[in-house]
Amino acid sequence: MSNLELPLVFFTVLSQTAIGLVIISTLRQWAVDGPTGNIRGEWVTASGLIIAGMVASFFHLGHPLEGYTALKHLDKAWLSREVLGVSIFLGLTVLGMFMARDKISGPVAFGAAIVGLATILFMGMTYSPPSYPAINNVLPLVFFLMTALLLGTSFGSWFASPEKRIWLTRVLAVTLIVGLVVYLIVPCVWLSGGTVMAQTGWAWIGSPLYWARIIIGLVLPLAAVWMTRDVPAWLPAIILIGEIMGRMVFFKDTLHAAGNLGGLY
Amino acid sequence: MTESNNTLGTQVGKCPLSRRKFLKCLLAAGAVATMPCGLLRPMSSRAEEIVYEGGYEFFRNACPRNCYDTCSIKTSVKDGVIQFIEGATESTFTRGGLCVKGYGYTRRPYSPDRIKYPMVQEGRGTGNWKRVSWDEAMERISKKLLEIHDKDGTLLGLALSKYSGNFGITNYGVEGMMTSLGYTTRLTGTPCWPAGIDAQNFDMGDMWCNDPEDMVDARYIIAWGANPAWNSVHSVKYLYAARDRGAKIVVIDPILTQMAAKADEYWQVKTSADGALALGMARYILDNDLYDKDWVAANSIGFNAFAEYLKNNVTVAWAAKESGIPAESIVKVAQEFATAKPATIWIGYGLQRHVNGGATVRAIDALVAMTGNVGKTGGGARYGHLQTWGFNYHALLQKQPEGAKGVPGKAEVKGDFTFTSDDAAVDYSDRILNINKTAQVILDADDPPIRLLWVSCKNPFSQDFDRNKMLKAFEKLEMVVTVDQFFNQTVEMSDIVLPVTTLFEEWTINASYWHYWLSLNEQAIEPMYEAKSNIEIAAALSKKMNELRPGSCTFPTEIDTKEWMIKEFNQGVYDLFGIKSWEDLRNGPVKAKMHPASWVDLKFKTPSGKYEFKSELAEKWGHKALPEFKAPREKYDKYRLLTPHSKFGIHSQFINLDWSEEFNPKPFVYLHPKLAAEKSIDDGDTVRVSNTYGEVIITAKLSTVVPPDAIVMYEAWFKNNPYNVQNVVDDTSSDMGAFKTGQPGVAIHDQFADVAKV
Amino acid sequence: MKKQYAFYIDAERCIGCFTCAMACKNQYHQPETVIWRQVYPIKAEIYPHRERAFYSLACNHCENPTCLNVCPVVAYSKREADGIVIHDQEKCIGCGNCIRSCPYGVPRYNPVLKKAEKCSFCWQRIDAGLKPQCVQSCPVEALQIVDLATFDKPDAVQYPPGFPKYPKLNPSVRFLVPRLPKIIGREDI
Repeated sequence: MSNLELPLVFFTVLSQTAIGLVIISTLRQWAVDGPTGNIRGEWVTASGLIIAGMVASFFHLGHPLEGYTALKHLDKAWLSREVLGVSIFLGLTVLGMFMARDKISGPVAFGAAIVGLATILFMGMTYSPPSYPAINNVLPLVFFLMTALLLGTSFGSWFASPEKRIWLTRVLAVTLIVGLVVYLIVPCVWLSGGTVMAQTGWAWIGSPLYWARIIIGLVLPLAAVWMTRDVPAWLPAIILIGEIMGRMVFFKDTLHAAGNLGGLY
Repeated sequence: MTESNNTLGTQVGKCPLSRRKFLKCLLAAGAVATMPCGLLRPMSSRAEEIVYEGGYEFFRNACPRNCYDTCSIKTSVKDGVIQFIEGATESTFTRGGLCVKGYGYTRRPYSPDRIKYPMVQEGRGTGNWKRVSWDEAMERISKKLLEIHDKDGTLLGLALSKYSGNFGITNYGVEGMMTSLGYTTRLTGTPCWPAGIDAQNFDMGDMWCNDPEDMVDARYIIAWGANPAWNSVHSVKYLYAARDRGAKIVVIDPILTQMAAKADEYWQVKTSADGALALGMARYILDNDLYDKDWVAANSIGFNAFAEYLKNNVTVAWAAKESGIPAESIVKVAQEFATAKPATIWIGYGLQRHVNGGATVRAIDALVAMTGNVGKTGGGARYGHLQTWGFNYHALLQKQPEGAKGVPGKAEVKGDFTFTSDDAAVDYSDRILNINKTAQVILDADDPPIRLLWVSCKNPFSQDFDRNKMLKAFEKLEMVVTVDQFFNQTVEMSDIVLPVTTLFEEWTINASYWHYWLSLNEQAIEPMYEAKSNIEIAAALSKKMNELRPGSCTFPTEIDTKEWMIKEFNQGVYDLFGIKSWEDLRNGPVKAKMHPASWVDLKFKTPSGKYEFKSELAEKWGHKALPEFKAPREKYDKYRLLTPHSKFGIHSQFINLDWSEEFNPKPFVYLHPKLAAEKSIDDGDTVRVSNTYGEVIITAKLSTVVPPDAIVMYEAWFKNNPYNVQNVVDDTSSDMGAFKTGQPGVAIHDQFADVAKV
Repeated sequence: MKKQYAFYIDAERCIGCFTCAMACKNQYHQPETVIWRQVYPIKAEIYPHRERAFYSLACNHCENPTCLNVCPVVAYSKREADGIVIHDQEKCIGCGNCIRSCPYGVPRYNPVLKKAEKCSFCWQRIDAGLKPQCVQSCPVEALQIVDLATFDKPDAVQYPPGFPKYPKLNPSVRFLVPRLPKIIGREDI
């Protein structure tokens, strides 16, 4: 029941990166003074990433050609809403990419950012079903937001103007610290939960991939940012690797309630 | 194919408007028909197609396995393919359901592992199998048989290894085939239940259990060394029904079996001490005048001698010491058993697979008899019966070719399922050897040695004892021919394998050795690939033999399994079952018109005509006349080793199927946590179970259901797995069996071994 | 209350023989790894003797089924008349969401059809007036179907130990918990 789910790993990480890029790009454009930087390149990258994410998601489906029917259950299914959100986000991001000059128009940028945020919310709801006690809560949403922010800020550094790099670096640093705290505390908190939640805690703590992701994806980047007071150009790749590893742990080491049938809960 | 029961298909719909029309209307009205694709797998589904709409042909089949329940099956076929099976609802015993093994039959004929064609192996155990035609296979075998005949002047070099793999009556044609070739070597006896059969024969003159369906009327049921929850699931409902009416269920077993878990009281008896326990109870019942004086006086002989024996040799304290069961429990249950009217004991087969097995059964029989429970509905010492097996044995009864020579003189072929006897004077006979020492007799047989072993309805490597000895024995054999459906461990060591039919691919007739029902087995599908039934194989062999040397085999060369099934019926069978012809069985299984209580007329078939507490016949056969205590086998290694049956299989059948693997993928050895701690073994560790005969490498499971001084492994054959409990089991004989079944039984559960972490 | 079919698992009668599990396979021929009805041993922490007590579980046809709620293509529907939850394979795109989301692990991925599937309560047999194959097959009547609208067994529970509690889903199952015999152990060991 707890599989590696590689297509979903890449779908969630890549799409959240795209969304993060767009959100950070939009915030940077309006919240911070200065030139917009390579806004076109940024939105091209975001479009590429969201398309790549969607392609990855098709590998998850038994019948990818009918994937469009996944929009049918908007009134109840978070997954339908997620598909809708990703689709609209894709549309707006591509639109923004084409419309980009030295900046993106407000409605498109904010539209994409808000739709992207909503999509992350829908994803958070989709990936927190009652069958996984450890994550049947707000944690997936928190994890996904952090993915978006970490990768949005770090990849954004490739496109941001020098004037905005400090803001970018600060946001990245704060997110890295928050991420470290969250990812270190959460499995420990799980240990005092119900049977399956505690088992999940032990599974994460005992997973070499989990520790690798902490070090490579959070500690190392934090050290690099601290020492350089900037976002080194190689850092986004490292953080991306960290996020992929973390998402793998999220899927394969989070235990399903049915695995304990016949035992005390 | 029958023109049967297409009407049943439409009956199932039950509404006046056929479902197909109804749904078509729904579709027309725009409603969406939803239907899981699953039912029509592997074909694609169409929304209008409804499974229970008819288009099925129904056939009657019977499970021919060595199982108490011998289920009546209703098979649903469509387009010549079995779609699903169910238990026949006409049989109150089967009652609509089969078991985890039986339902695997839907897969079995179509299993990708099934042997499809005759095959020849170049080098035993190499796996270099080459397909040959039936003609070539028969030619190879025939040439070998003629070679044997020419070399030895007899066919004693041909031996048959056959037992209970298929109880369809026409399969006795295999023995018939042997006879039709000449005088051959027969491995007689039975590994299964011989000690108990002899015991019941000494006591009562026959093995004859009550109708198991009458257990609902029992007020006290002891399942002694029997585990119906695993081995006779259809019987359990009667125990439950008895309990609903206030009966008490006691289970006595060294292992806390599934049946024990469902009992009211469970006794973890020391293995093989059951005789002492029964005698202790008898002593208490005697001392407290709780036995049925009138019954004993009117219907038995030798009770006073038995009473004397008890007074001089048996006390409750002694029984407690021998068996491990506390004295106060022995007293309480003895009291309850003696005063419950009626009370019954289900005597299991595992109970008598010991060097003192026969003596144990005699003691338990005595307990039932002295309390007046023999011949009563709901009572009885239940073991088994063969009262409903009065067929013609047409397939079995063949004639040796003219001029055939064998062992000079007349030898009586005995067996548990031998219903015919030949009183005519003969010059020659078959060579009779002990099936329970198959490996040893192959090694010892000389003048002539056993040259060709024909294996059918048996799997010597999985079911016979001391596997390492069997390997050596097989080296002596010049040719091994096995008739089977899967590449099991015996087939792996054979030269030629012949693909045989499943129950769906032949006609035959089946009775049970437990319940009183009779089931027809119709051919439901065409045999897959080139499979032939045992009698078709015999016909093919006969044809080739006579081609090469006219007159060398008398078995008919053209046969029809349906005709041969019909030939098994006689008026006796019709009268017993109250049917006019075998065709009546097409409407469902039928129950014998017998009183549910065996021995209800109290006319025992012993020499005295009474129940014999003291049996001179037993004495003649080398046993004590009274049901005296016989000591268990001495330990020859550290822990007792028990290798009982698994609930997932019948010996080496079923567990290898892919469907079965999903629920039962691998074998385990069960160790008590105390024993495991002694050996620093954790749950899930790989361990070696070993003794002087061999070893088994296996994963350990720790459990309190097994006693702390025993190692428990369930006998089974897993596909592509060398697991085999016979590596550590020897072929020591049990005390009884020679009287009625021709050979002593075998003490399968009197084995010992050690275990260590690997 | 509306009619709601439910499985009633009498774990006291149940002998863990796996007949029900194999009867289902016999009816639907699911490919390897696809099991609609599984027989779960109750662990020794609940019933002290290993592999001697079991819960036979298939789909619980919940009042508020997670599978139905999370399916993006509305492949699941709950029958008005009797509450059976049906999966329409025609619509399924094999996204696996129901498989991940059902806390009882009911839907399984069929690698041949590349779709999800689960116990159908044998609704075609029900509509033809028959019992589900698993229920018919049980040799001791430990597995039965009941209508929760009229079910009235005072000693039955919905969440026995070993069966996780999900009141929001409200699984349509009821159980009788298994008892222990009086055990007389050996005095010599």
